Amino acid sequence: MEILNRSLIHRRIAVMKVVTLLMILGLVLAYGWVQLGLRREMQRLAFSQAVKTRTTPAPRGIIFDRNGNKIVDNRRALHLVIQNEDLPTDNLQIDALAQALFMEPEQLRRRVQASRQAAGNRMLVLLDNLDDAALARAEVLRARFPFLSIEVAPRRVYLGQDLAGHALGYVGEVTPEELAKYPDRYQLGEIIGRSGFESSRNDRLRGVDGQRRILVDHLGREVAVFGLNEAKPGRSVYLTLDAGLQEILKGAFGSDNGAGIVLDLRDGGILAMFSSPSYDPNIFLNRLSQEQVEQYWGNPDRPMLDRVTQGRYPPGSTFKLLVALAALEKGIITPESTFTCYGHKVFYNRDFRCDNTHGTVNLIQAIAHSCDIYFYELGMRLDIDDIHAAAEKYGITMPTGVDLPHEATSRVPSREWKKRVKKEKWYAGETISVAIGQGANSLTPISLARFYAMLATGGKFLTPHLLYGIRPEDNSPMELFTPPAPRESGLDPKIRAVLDEALYEVVHSGTAKESAIPGLTILGKTGTSQVTSFVDKSHYAKLGKKLRDNALFAGYAPRDNPQIAFCVVVENGGFGAASAAPIVKKLCQYWFIDRLKKPLPPPSAKIPDEFKQDQGAEPGEEP
Amino acid sequence: MRERLRALDTTLLWPMVILVLMGTLTVYSAGRGTSQATLWAKQTVWNVMGFAVMAFLAGTNPRRAFRSGFALYVLGILSLVLVLAAGHRIGGAQRWIILAGLTFQPSELMKWLTLLFVAHRLGTRQPQDLTAWDLVGVSGLVFFPMLLVLKQPDLGMAVSFLPILLLVPILKGLRAKWVAVGLVVVGLGGVFAWQKVLKPYQKQRVMTFLDPGADLKGKGYQINQSRIAIGAGGLTGQGFTSGSQTQLNFLPVKTTDFVFSVWAEERGFLGVLMALGLFGLVLSRILDTAVAARSASETYFCVGAAGIIALHLLVNVGMVIGVLPNKGIVLPFFSAGGSSTLSYFLGLGVVMGIRHRAQVK
Repeated sequence: MEILNRSLIHRRIAVMKVVTLLMILGLVLAYGWVQLGLRREMQRLAFSQAVKTRTTPAPRGIIFDRNGNKIVDNRRALHLVIQNEDLPTDNLQIDALAQALFMEPEQLRRRVQASRQAAGNRMLVLLDNLDDAALARAEVLRARFPFLSIEVAPRRVYLGQDLAGHALGYVGEVTPEELAKYPDRYQLGEIIGRSGFESSRNDRLRGVDGQRRILVDHLGREVAVFGLNEAKPGRSVYLTLDAGLQEILKGAFGSDNGAGIVLDLRDGGILAMFSSPSYDPNIFLNRLSQEQVEQYWGNPDRPMLDRVTQGRYPPGSTFKLLVALAALEKGIITPESTFTCYGHKVFYNRDFRCDNTHGTVNLIQAIAHSCDIYFYELGMRLDIDDIHAAAEKYGITMPTGVDLPHEATSRVPSREWKKRVKKEKWYAGETISVAIGQGANSLTPISLARFYAMLATGGKFLTPHLLYGIRPEDNSPMELFTPPAPRESGLDPKIRAVLDEALYEVVHSGTAKESAIPGLTILGKTGTSQVTSFVDKSHYAKLGKKLRDNALFAGYAPRDNPQIAFCVVVENGGFGAASAAPIVKKLCQYWFIDRLKKPLPPPSAKIPDEFKQDQGAEPGEEP
Repeated sequence: MRERLRALDTTLLWPMVILVLMGTLTVYSAGRGTSQATLWAKQTVWNVMGFAVMAFLAGTNPRRAFRSGFALYVLGILSLVLVLAAGHRIGGAQRWIILAGLTFQPSELMKWLTLLFVAHRLGTRQPQDLTAWDLVGVSGLVFFPMLLVLKQPDLGMAVSFLPILLLVPILKGLRAKWVAVGLVVVGLGGVFAWQKVLKPYQKQRVMTFLDPGADLKGKGYQINQSRIAIGAGGLTGQGFTSGSQTQLNFLPVKTTDFVFSVWAEERGFLGVLMALGLFGLVLSRILDTAVAARSASETYFCVGAAGIIALHLLVNVGMVIGVLPNKGIVLPFFSAGGSSTLSYFLGLGVVMGIRHRAQVK
């Protein structure tokens, strides 16, 4: 190679070397700019995507019965969620996710939007309570939508299933409407009591959410925790319910509709309350299918109605005690006053019938054998407003103040009521029907039970309640809940003794004598009332059932030093003595005898598989 | 053996060895707690093998390599054809053949074989005797394997054949006329490529490069995460195995394409200066060797080698910080990978052989 060429090429190589070194210098400058100039910004970005604040939902308080048997527990469940800081902004992505989850795109967009605007760090729960199959599908979804994550959160478990559905109620996520109404009370995504005790005592049962600062990887998986502010669980509470008695009450109803309640005469605690048909609150923790919504809310049997506090029934003959009370107080009759029953009698040009021909009866016999003629006579001598005043005085028309939501108020008609509601004047003939508990009378089982409790206690108005005590956080004794001090009704002890005697005779020798238990005195009054009110009559016709009367039984036991009061209504049950009184017999048999020898086992911890099923079918099976 | 080891050029060797060690440590740190936890050990095996190949070539007269240039070139072309015909597919690209249980990427080696043959061809003639047609012929020798690589498809690898064409301006000088023609060809080629050759994912890369912020969760994600990693490194770095971007997997493909981001995050700007400085030493030593070389072919080989390594350095290090498009090109000595490791050691082995021959004279 020629020298000239060599040196020329060497010069070009030297240029190349300079260019190469300049290129490296350029890279140095670029790195210097990013690593020194943008350091703070980049470190902030690195920190913010790796360090997250997550809310740990606080478990709600556990619920025990009065004997310390667990009836509502919490369980760790896995949920598919979007963490607050990961909420997607791209509508197309939200729509794709909605499609993958078989949700309405519009609805999901709204939920995402609401979550973004909400205060606090609550996550948006998309699918809850994942079982193994759902978990596998959720993992697949997470690969497609990296902003999804899987969180552990407590979930309610109702151990007795439908044992005390209406009393306990159920929980659910707070709705946008509630949030808008009480912005300070709830957080978005919070689980609150939706019904029953869960709702009325939500403030005690709810806990305080915890916060934790965690390190996450690129998939949002938690790698490490630093900084933990533990969730404070809600207070665990004891209910006045006795799980065994509740089980007996539930079992006694079988397939019949109706309601039953047992009150503790010491303080008004509800020992058992059951509304039939009941529901399993576990079902309402999941998203419901249209079918289920129809089954529970569209059902003519109205399973969602708590018949104990919201069902209103004509009280039938159980009302006669109030009429007797009004008549005795007004001095219209004495206990010895007699009327003669020929099986029927004409009042105000209408023929009124009695079930039987009782002959000449005094008050006690009339109550014991449920003679209607006797009470028609009282109805003729009493003004409707006298009956209404007595009902007011003895607390029937007053809400009982039970710690359950939406208690209905019992109605005993009056002139004022008819004028106000029906825009008509009262006809004296109507008072005849009211006197035997028919007509416009409409009572809740709980108010009737409270009336009999008032008779049993010699005039005390107890406040029925479910909250028995709060479980302390340490090992100290339970903090007992103190119900309001009972108000006195001013019941004359002499009158009370007469009514007590009459109620004793009902079971001893009268209409309910089949339900007597040897060695135990049960006092009560049977009732039979025409079906009116909330259940659609045509429903029975469709079912092919004969439309029968509602059967009632209300009273207390035992006679000396009464301990419990009760009221049982069996819809379509026929005579009170035939279907309602036997239920009370079973209750008393358990409460006074069997319970002391061999109490029923507490509700099993078995969790039904049923509420796992509606997570949606496999994607392939979807239409 | 001792003779061959003595032939190693220590001025080139030391910066290279340090870079290789830095790379292996980075691969270790990046692979921790992932499925690539033992990749650093595998990489060490490749490095040792590469070192043996390099030592062998350093003690070998490069003329022997040049003489078999044509045969090696033909073999290389055949292997690329074999890849297209019966290669192993990973993720939509057919770039590999499996040989004795090892996955091998012939295109890595083909760069160096092409350089060897082209340097040999050009070196046997006087520069002033080369006609325009000769240059077109030489360009054809480069473009043919490039097209085969593009077909795999592997745009990044195809681009790394281009530095071989640097030999043309080195030989003929850079004239305004040629630059103008070159620009027109590149411009037309670019338009053609955009419309006919580039796959949608490649176009996406270019778009992402032009505006990485537009789609942070999608295609711009990798570059954005890489920039965050590098920036978070600051002056002194987050510390070995302590970079949050790396260890929490925010950084993608962190043992190969984005390995330098790991280094930058955990070792900071000082570590970057050190790495780039060592690369500078390696490149300038190769170019010094080009000047010291005893034959024209040897000079050309060294120039091409420096060009290939410089291009990889520029594109990879520039890509991970977001100043160049995301090309999918590895960083020599840092990125994990058997074929590429072997091929760089091989290329530098030839350079060392050239140095050794120039010195023993």
